[in-house]
Amino acid sequence: MIHAKSLSRSFGDRVAVDALNLDVARGEVFGLLGPNGAGKTTTVRMLTTLLRPSGGSAQVSGFDITAAASSVRRSIGYAPQEINLDRDLTGFQNLLLHGMYHGMKGPRNRCLELLRWAQIETHCNDPVRTYSGGMQRRLQIARSVMHEPAMLFLDEPTVGLDPQIRRTIWELIRTLKLRNIGVVLTTHYIEEAEALCSRVGIMNRGRLIACDTPQRLTQDVGAWVVETQGESGMDYRHFDDHESAVTFAKGVERRALRIRPATLEDAFIRLSGERFAQ
Amino acid sequence: MNLWPVFFREMLIFSNRIRKPGYIAASVMTPLLYLITFGMGIGRRFSVEGASYLVFIIPGICAMSAMNNSFSGIATSLAVGRLHFRSVENILVSPLSTLDIALGEICGGAVRGLFSSMFIILIAPLMGASFPRDPLFYVAWLLTTVTFAALGTFAGFMARSHEDTSTYSNFIIVPMSFFCGTFFPIDNLPGAINLFLRALPLTHSVICMRSGYRGEPIDPLNLAALLFFCVASTALAVQAIRRSDR
Repeated sequence: MIHAKSLSRSFGDRVAVDALNLDVARGEVFGLLGPNGAGKTTTVRMLTTLLRPSGGSAQVSGFDITAAASSVRRSIGYAPQEINLDRDLTGFQNLLLHGMYHGMKGPRNRCLELLRWAQIETHCNDPVRTYSGGMQRRLQIARSVMHEPAMLFLDEPTVGLDPQIRRTIWELIRTLKLRNIGVVLTTHYIEEAEALCSRVGIMNRGRLIACDTPQRLTQDVGAWVVETQGESGMDYRHFDDHESAVTFAKGVERRALRIRPATLEDAFIRLSGERFAQ
Repeated sequence: MNLWPVFFREMLIFSNRIRKPGYIAASVMTPLLYLITFGMGIGRRFSVEGASYLVFIIPGICAMSAMNNSFSGIATSLAVGRLHFRSVENILVSPLSTLDIALGEICGGAVRGLFSSMFIILIAPLMGASFPRDPLFYVAWLLTTVTFAALGTFAGFMARSHEDTSTYSNFIIVPMSFFCGTFFPIDNLPGAINLFLRALPLTHSVICMRSGYRGEPIDPLNLAALLFFCVASTALAVQAIRRSDR
């Protein structure tokens, strides 16, 4: 569904995305993980045809993002990081217009279905500016799937939301997977990537530094972590198995010692840290 | 061609705006003040080109109002939608063609311009002037709104900050309001200035609408020039959307 080869984008001298190679399959929830400024949003904006690449190429749903941009747009949905709904219009009008942009015939029933799905049907005739942040975010995701795209791009879909609303949005994203919609999800919430994504790409300074399942990424850096309180802060040591971690821990005379399974966060810190060191 | 969705969005937004108290009053206030001050205040005391100054000034103010509201309405809506609320992004990421988007926005702007300037035409008979009957007056009026709505679309997509649309307005639209024959005949001006003013679209709008308003034949050259500006500004609007990395 997505095939990117050496995809790059520069803004003046600054390289935002550097020779990105990426493959995402239909029905897969793929997470792009990285700190602010890693190049996640620039990657998504190129793949959604909102930004022309400086170099390389990419196909989305089999169409080239520059040569067949219109076909790409027909096959994708996009919910950007900022709420970009028409705030003076109602929730229903926002969905209706989106259906019209995509040439849908008789989109009213689909609008009502999605308003129920996003749990905002009782407010569907209110202006969006009166909605809470969580309602706006749910409406934005509902709008992005209005035309039943094969591929959906969600850029930081839960940023700034409280944990309860975040869980509701996670459930919405899980139902998309059941509908065989491919999802590219950018996030800097590691637990979000762990909870939702079948594969994760870790980006740092415009480069994709690792790409695999969350389990393999954590195993690759060591499945077990020994945390110790050092004089200059926490120290993390990675081990392939629990026995090795215990053996190491026995020989350490430090306070606040803890042995725990590695998480995607450990993999992320270790991978990006190694790259920083290089 | 499918300009309807973008036009429909603009109409939904516009219908919300005109329901807000003060919107209509704000959009007709300036031309109405000109009409009362110049038209009623001094308009009946002297004549220009063989008719009362009131009759001279009504089509000029109508053209000026059409220009201001077509341009500012759509330029502001687009600049705010692009730069602040980012709602225009959802149109750009849709499969609508660049031409569809441009024409939808231009039609939206033209309706805003026609709506606001319509009040001048409706008020004119109350001031003792007549109602325009020549169909070519309405053709010129429509071309004026389309031309400036297209320039507003261009400005809205080119703007890099909210202040940019004011800059376009202050340096292009406001000077045209005063110098393109709205308040005085440009034929009396020196040759070079006259020539320069004829290179501006509002001059031809005013000449065509004034002839149509008086029931005089419209010079086909002026109408052709207006049509040219209409097409050229539409092409500029399309280019501006393409430049937005689409």
